[in-house]
Amino acid sequence: MFACIYGRAFPERGRDAVTLLIDLAFTFSPLVEQTGTDTFVLDVDGQELLFGPPLSSGVRETDWGLNIANEITRRATLSDLKVHVSIAANPDVAIHAARSFKGITVIPAGEELMELGSLPLKMLDYSLAGIDQKKAEEIRDTLGLWGVRTFGDFAKLPIAGVAQRLGQEGVRLQKLAQGKSERHLHLFQPPVGFEQALELEHPVAELESLSFIFARLLNQLCANLNSHALATNELLIYLKLEDKTEYKRAITLPVPMRNPKTFLRLLLMDIESKPPQAAIIAVMIRAEPVKPRELQTGLFIPVAPEPEKLELTLARLAKLVGPENVGSPELLNTHRPDAFRMTKFRLNYRSGKNAGNSPRPALGAGKMPELPAMGFRVFRPPWHAEVQSMQQRPARINACGASSSYGIRGRIICASGPWRTSGDWWRIDLWARDEWDIAVRSSNSEQSDVLCRIYRDLQSEEWFVEGVYD
Amino acid sequence: MTAALAKTEIESALAHRFGAAFQHREKRPVETLPTGVNEIDALVSGIPRGAITEISGAVSSGRTSLLLSALAVATRQEETCALVDCNDTFDLLSAKTAQVDFGRVLWVRCNNRLEHAFKATDLLLQSGGFGLVVLNLADVAAKCARRIVSSWWFRFRRALENTTTALVVITPVACVRSCARMVLEVNNEAAVWFETGPLALKSDDARLRIKINREPATTNTRHLSLVTGSNQNGSPGVRLPHSRLFRGICVRVNQERPTTWTGGPVKFSTHVYI
Repeated sequence: MFACIYGRAFPERGRDAVTLLIDLAFTFSPLVEQTGTDTFVLDVDGQELLFGPPLSSGVRETDWGLNIANEITRRATLSDLKVHVSIAANPDVAIHAARSFKGITVIPAGEELMELGSLPLKMLDYSLAGIDQKKAEEIRDTLGLWGVRTFGDFAKLPIAGVAQRLGQEGVRLQKLAQGKSERHLHLFQPPVGFEQALELEHPVAELESLSFIFARLLNQLCANLNSHALATNELLIYLKLEDKTEYKRAITLPVPMRNPKTFLRLLLMDIESKPPQAAIIAVMIRAEPVKPRELQTGLFIPVAPEPEKLELTLARLAKLVGPENVGSPELLNTHRPDAFRMTKFRLNYRSGKNAGNSPRPALGAGKMPELPAMGFRVFRPPWHAEVQSMQQRPARINACGASSSYGIRGRIICASGPWRTSGDWWRIDLWARDEWDIAVRSSNSEQSDVLCRIYRDLQSEEWFVEGVYD
Repeated sequence: MTAALAKTEIESALAHRFGAAFQHREKRPVETLPTGVNEIDALVSGIPRGAITEISGAVSSGRTSLLLSALAVATRQEETCALVDCNDTFDLLSAKTAQVDFGRVLWVRCNNRLEHAFKATDLLLQSGGFGLVVLNLADVAAKCARRIVSSWWFRFRRALENTTTALVVITPVACVRSCARMVLEVNNEAAVWFETGPLALKSDDARLRIKINREPATTNTRHLSLVTGSNQNGSPGVRLPHSRLFRGICVRVNQERPTTWTGGPVKFSTHVYI
């Protein structure tokens, strides 16, 4: 069964009325077709349990259809909408009935022609049969010349003759008039708004006040995402400022989330780190919808930080020490000393399914070195050193870092080197140096020997301490 | 027997007033994270989870080598690790040589700001889920390390309770005091130079030793030997071959608060190169 809602005097009501009508239609069925701006068709099959009288009462099928139509009309009246409602077994019949008859019309199956037969042919909606306007007018003129004026007249014409004279379009139109057309509903997908905006009455300059506005918008946004079983991995914030400029921020998340509290904290920390230059007069937040994260945990997978908590922790750490000082290190493909970059820290997940296929390697098996590697602590920046040489080998050293708690001073009791390295000769920041590994014995007998790596910069002829072995 | 019955009676009489205060809490077995040094793991089972482990020692004593080994094992076991580097001295090449998986290490560089290092560690511990968190204070002055207020350590210990996170603190001198579940005191005993011509030392010195003392101070000391080698790999991103540098490392282990030393003698093979 299909129900059709036709809004009366619609153009005057504007866009709000269309939205209300869409909401009304979706209240009764998720399967809705928007046939025109003022016409909606609903598939109401299976709703007899909701709107029909008890089965034991022996009522007809059309009775619960009448109940639905009454309920639609009642709710439309509550929304201050004037509508015609029709119920029929065929969607096109329901459309024609709703457009042609006032109030509520219920057409039982098989009685379509009886109800629609008296309708003039100008009420026949050719677009429902997929016929363009020019062809439809041509057919209508021909029918007019034949003296065919109503649905009933057209329906009674022999199909062979119609096909011969009017072609397949004529046959389709005739079936439409007979109420025997067959088609599926073109389902209407309401536009999904993962965007929330608010214009403020007064400019807001304080973060605390802004947090309440953000909380409200994010709650709505996450509710929308939740209702569509979606999450987001990117939040875009647009703030309109009092000085008529725009402030934009984008927060990229490592995994899809939809927790408004996490979003709120991330937003506030992000804005706190780079505050806008003027008071805010409008706020807009947009979320990029993605499928939510699917993760199958396993018994043998080590516990990892929760993504939401970790993201907050990373944001807090970035606020504390600076975003350039937090992340995963990555070595660059060069021999330049201490060449690395920081990348965003991301959790490496291993799903339970994969975990089953590739069990965790046992300790000591395979690639682990038998002996621990030599540890090294690198000084950033390297310490400037005064080195005395003897027979072209370093003999004494005196070095102290600007921010270090200790210095390296004393006799060099052992030295190994030099190892000459250089690179990037085609660039301004070329490097060339002779490296030495040395052991320094301090004059203070309580201190143990310090093993360090020093180098002589071949450009400046100066000595530096690169770091200590530890 | 009578005393036991009396105790039971008193406990049952007061149970409704004090709840579970008198109930015996079963102590959970301590989970550990291997250090990657077989001899240490055999002796102390590794780094305890849910507690603070302190590795203290002077410069060039072997603290970082031990740390890199533990980090490599932890990342290999797919633990999420964090390194709070107070003085920004973490060397990536030696870490790569030790086979540390950087994808599982969160590196926080604090640029010589001790306060930031502690706050960052606190954030990480409160966040939870990390297998190993390292607070690297190796280059902090000894007098500064001694002045660190105990409340930080108590706070960390409280945050770690009933978690699977192991916190390792690298310090120049032991300063975590009673909050540390295990203290490893590392000392450099000897160094040897390989392929350095006339400056090479005798082969007798060419070994590394780890001394693990878990007995009271009056009992015999125990010796472990450990050999470390510098990088020999010349692939891109890795340093060219350097001198092979071997050192003697003496590690003293304290697993019981505050100064009870326990343990047994362990002897294992010396280095393999000489």
